[in-house]
Amino acid sequence: MKRKQINRTVEIGGNRTKFYEVFARKDSHDVLAHVGSIEAPNDDLAQVRAWYVYDQHKWKEMCLVPTDAIVSVTEHDKRVKIKEV
Amino acid sequence: METTSIADLDPAVAKALESDLLAVADTKLVLGNWFVMCVNNGRSLPDFAALLGQSAAVLGHARSLYLYLVNFGHTYEHLEQGRDAEAIASMNLLDAPPQSWEDFIASIYLAEQASWMLMSGFLKHPDRALAGLAEKIGQETYFHLKYANGWAALFAESGGEAFIEALSARYPLALGWFGDTDSDPLHAAGLRSVPLSALKEGFAREVEKIADVVRLPLDLPDAVEHGTDWRPQSRRNGPLSERLFDVIRFKDPEAVHP
Repeated sequence: MKRKQINRTVEIGGNRTKFYEVFARKDSHDVLAHVGSIEAPNDDLAQVRAWYVYDQHKWKEMCLVPTDAIVSVTEHDKRVKIKEV
Repeated sequence: METTSIADLDPAVAKALESDLLAVADTKLVLGNWFVMCVNNGRSLPDFAALLGQSAAVLGHARSLYLYLVNFGHTYEHLEQGRDAEAIASMNLLDAPPQSWEDFIASIYLAEQASWMLMSGFLKHPDRALAGLAEKIGQETYFHLKYANGWAALFAESGGEAFIEALSARYPLALGWFGDTDSDPLHAAGLRSVPLSALKEGFAREVEKIADVVRLPLDLPDAVEHGTDWRPQSRRNGPLSERLFDVIRFKDPEAVHP
């Protein structure tokens, strides 16, 4: 049987795999809430993965924020840690 | 928008509509099974979820279209469970299994894009049920095409030759699926808002866009010759192989939700 070959650098994103925080709301009256996080090598795959991983509701709106883009206020100079939902 | 009854349509037009919808539905049926079979080839845990999500969506499209095709005098059970390999009208593109990850992504992209182009022609169909179904399929296909685009961007970083090679090899089978576009009875009858020839051209333009993502030249034919076993109503050459049919055939009626 042919073994699955994965080029880790190219296919998984190597060392530059990005993490994204996922926010969503069920309707326009809800606040946009953190529902979890997702790992992906680029924005396109992050959007698709988030859409299918966090499919517990029929979301009205979902958006992603690259974790690197979040500026921590309380933990200056430290990597942001957002608790998983 | 008014609702048009299928009984009011010219029989030849009704048959053409039925054939087009069945071709999309059966292509979705086979594509859904491709996703299911390839889940374990996903590259990470969230990728498994994405593949399973796409399989559920695509199989849902097939079932929704079968349900609509009941209007043409079929029973749902016959469409989903009662047809043999000869009667399955799926795209020839999906007959041969993927040979690599790049081939898998190229194949699902072409199948999704081609079947969406055909469904997009019904977005303004006079029957609001069908127009709504086309819209829903379009909303979900958006993510499936984005998935292929995301992978294409990654392939570009390693050269992308294998992806372009797979795209070139599979493309004629997807283009051939549009069949003879010189006459379009559904457009003439006002059921398809965009002529089939324009949908085919739109498909070719979209494929060029994904090649641009990889930043490699892609030489695509403008037309393809159909063999003598071409069946225009099924939009395919010859019957489905027994091997593939065994993968996609309905296996357990007992497990069906009533």
